Amino acid sequence: MISRRDLLAMIGGGIGVASLTGWAPATLAADPAGPRLLFVLLRGGLDGLHAVPPYGDPGYAALRGPLALSPAGPTEAGGIASKLDATFALHPSLTFCAHLYARRQFMPIVAAAPPYWGRSHFEAQDCVENGTDSPSGAETGWLNRAVGVLREGGLSATTVTPLIMRGQAKIDEWSPPLPNRVNPILLQRLEPLYGEDPVLAAAFADAIGAREEDARIDGSMRGARLGVGQRLPSIFAAAGAFLARRGGPRIVFVEDYGWDTHANQAAILTRKLAELDRAVRAFHDAVTPAWGRTAAIVVTEFGRTARINGTGGTDHGTGGAMFVFGGAVAGGRVGGQWPGMRPQELYQDRDVHATTDQRAVFKGVLGKHLGIAEDTLARVIFPGSAGLRPTGGLLREGANT
Amino acid sequence: MDLEDRRRASSAVNRFGLGARAAATEPSGDPRAWLLAQIRRPPDGAEWLAGLPDSLDYLRRETDLMRELRKLRRRGATATGRGPTAAGHPEPRNPFQQRFREAFGDDLRRESLARWQIAATTTTPFAERLVRFWSNHFAVSVDKGPVRLYAAPFEREAIRPHFAGRFADLLLAVETHPAMLRYLDQAQSVGPDSPLARRIDRRLALRARRNDQPARQLGLNENLAREIMELHTLGANAGYTQADVTEFARALTGWSVPFPGQLDRGRVDRPFFYRAAAHEPGTRVVRGRRYPDTGFDQARAILLDLAASRATARHLAFQLARHFVADVPPPELVERLEQAYLESGGELAAVYAAMIDAPASWSPAARKFRSPQDFLVAALRGGSMVLGSRAQPFEWFAARLGQPTFMPRSPAGFSDLAADWIGPDALWKRVQAAEGLASRVPRAGLDPRVLATSLLGLRYDPSVQAALERAEAPQQALALLFASPAFQWRV
Repeated sequence: MISRRDLLAMIGGGIGVASLTGWAPATLAADPAGPRLLFVLLRGGLDGLHAVPPYGDPGYAALRGPLALSPAGPTEAGGIASKLDATFALHPSLTFCAHLYARRQFMPIVAAAPPYWGRSHFEAQDCVENGTDSPSGAETGWLNRAVGVLREGGLSATTVTPLIMRGQAKIDEWSPPLPNRVNPILLQRLEPLYGEDPVLAAAFADAIGAREEDARIDGSMRGARLGVGQRLPSIFAAAGAFLARRGGPRIVFVEDYGWDTHANQAAILTRKLAELDRAVRAFHDAVTPAWGRTAAIVVTEFGRTARINGTGGTDHGTGGAMFVFGGAVAGGRVGGQWPGMRPQELYQDRDVHATTDQRAVFKGVLGKHLGIAEDTLARVIFPGSAGLRPTGGLLREGANT
Repeated sequence: MDLEDRRRASSAVNRFGLGARAAATEPSGDPRAWLLAQIRRPPDGAEWLAGLPDSLDYLRRETDLMRELRKLRRRGATATGRGPTAAGHPEPRNPFQQRFREAFGDDLRRESLARWQIAATTTTPFAERLVRFWSNHFAVSVDKGPVRLYAAPFEREAIRPHFAGRFADLLLAVETHPAMLRYLDQAQSVGPDSPLARRIDRRLALRARRNDQPARQLGLNENLAREIMELHTLGANAGYTQADVTEFARALTGWSVPFPGQLDRGRVDRPFFYRAAAHEPGTRVVRGRRYPDTGFDQARAILLDLAASRATARHLAFQLARHFVADVPPPELVERLEQAYLESGGELAAVYAAMIDAPASWSPAARKFRSPQDFLVAALRGGSMVLGSRAQPFEWFAARLGQPTFMPRSPAGFSDLAADWIGPDALWKRVQAAEGLASRVPRAGLDPRVLATSLLGLRYDPSVQAALERAEAPQQALALLFASPAFQWRV
């Protein structure tokens, strides 16, 4: 049955969220001071060598040719990269990220990959999402399992549920809304019908439950532009608003597409990375009250070939870059171990050799930031990963106290 | 008709078709015969597609537009601009986008309308579903700019004529179409030791030496080769290696789209061009078999062998059974389709006939969740909605529900699994869409109870009836019908 409170919220429509927190459904009981996690998956394979160019590596310029970037000055591939240290720089489009780096709240990790090294988008993404060492290692997603272990709210900012968020734990979903408000009578009539459908019943009940909480963010998104270059910042802003809300979710998942740059890579990544940079800024601004308790992880399913191909792009590779950022992060340095770019240092004379298993970073953040026990991480969330030590030093000491 | 007959008739229309039309009486007679007849003749829709430009027309006009824009840029004209748009957006329109819209906006609208019109009116809905199945199997995505004009012609030119023919012919038509050649970056792939690469290398090396810069390399792009093996034919984990992918990519070099110069000289009569100078010379070894260098035919021979492979038979059988019958299809059904494929030498009509014939395909327990596009098409047909001259509202719904037309954003296409479409937010948006759709149903002579009987068949059960009876107005009853769980499934 739909409750009177739900009906009131829906009929009221414009009721502010403050007046609703008094109703306190289960997810609103979360500790408002608790840590927050944003997880971002860039689908398609972001070229780590392009986002975090190793300009100081002696092999870099020769292998990258016209795609090479430099902190010394503009190149054919773009403007002046932001120097991070003696080896690495950040792509010129990532200006806000460079600013966070200077504030020690942004850390690129180089030469990282999921445990699967087979170069298929779909298998690699499955592996990133299921949290095991193989593409078919689990039917559920590790972020879902983390939500289950924490017994906190989790939200997927997607139109369709991705593998990483599928599983036993209840996950809220949100994507930019349709404009019409649904007639509450219609919902009332539908509820018993959906209640009889074993596959749809739970999702439908959640759909109704989620509405009142989402009303304000929906309202702010209703007029939002979702055109070219606007989608990701809008969704990051919503993710930040959810995480900052008292009683909001602890974990939010966001995904993006279009990183598969087989051709014309310099132009595409200049645009895409600028959009990502605006999104990071939008997230920062929206999550601000909780920024100090927030960590964000950005990953992709694989890096790309060290050499450029014949079409101004790169093909599927292995080791790539990932990012960790947020007010709780001990950034301002480049993480990971750099394997080098000389031919004999490349994996199969082709890709950057992966020296960091992405799961080590995930474990480092989930353990220290979200307080999940190492044993639980090794058995439940990343099963079979007992031998993989969590990456240390990712979080600021005392960030969540 | 007894209950079992009614159930089968409803499965023919919903599980294998696009949903019932309000006034239609099909299938009259045997549902199996009705389905079989649809794969033995060209599908409906020719009248809607007549007069649309073909890919070669688009290529020529696109080339003209590029030239015009280059000239504009050279003259230093930054904006052809009207400045801020009507909606008051602060930034001026990108002149490229604006000219593109002016040049091709009408075509894109006509393509979109034709596709929705066919879905709304076709009397061969099984054939139409198969066309859409293959469009998604060989997915291209229009968020990649160079593909934008070619996705709709791709379906018309490469899929439609071959949907019930030999798989090998379908495969060849697909992999030589400009939409696929551009989407998976094949058009520019050049053999590193091809005459073209050597010629250009020499020129670039010279320039590089003068400027003291590293030489740019022309070369291979293995995107298409990989996805043909992983998605189009063999399937993931079918025993091929990175070396097979690279070898296949070398064989494919030269498969391309006509360039502006060739279009000008008028020597081109189709939208495919084999650039012999870009082809990597030499014998290739793919999956243990040697392919001598026969130019264009080298990759063609590999494609034909892929089409004839048992792994391909299995992969396609599984995909078809999953699409029509169940997310986890019965193994004996997959087996049967695989056998039909192998025994017929890859005749798709034989595979479809085997599916229609198999008892497992008609199981009352099997059901498939309607994807957003399926849902919209079923409502469009069921509600006898009038599209008029614009399909834009339906494109908008499809995008908001997560399935924008021709934009899966991945060569794997849109998911065929219920789990990917039934999140709470997705269900909520369906209810919202159902209200919007209900308001588009013509009111004249509308009796929601009669309509529900023909759309839901046996699933118009007492609880749905009771809910409909209580509706305050016909439009509300229709919203309830479209939003009801029974309407979300193909049974």
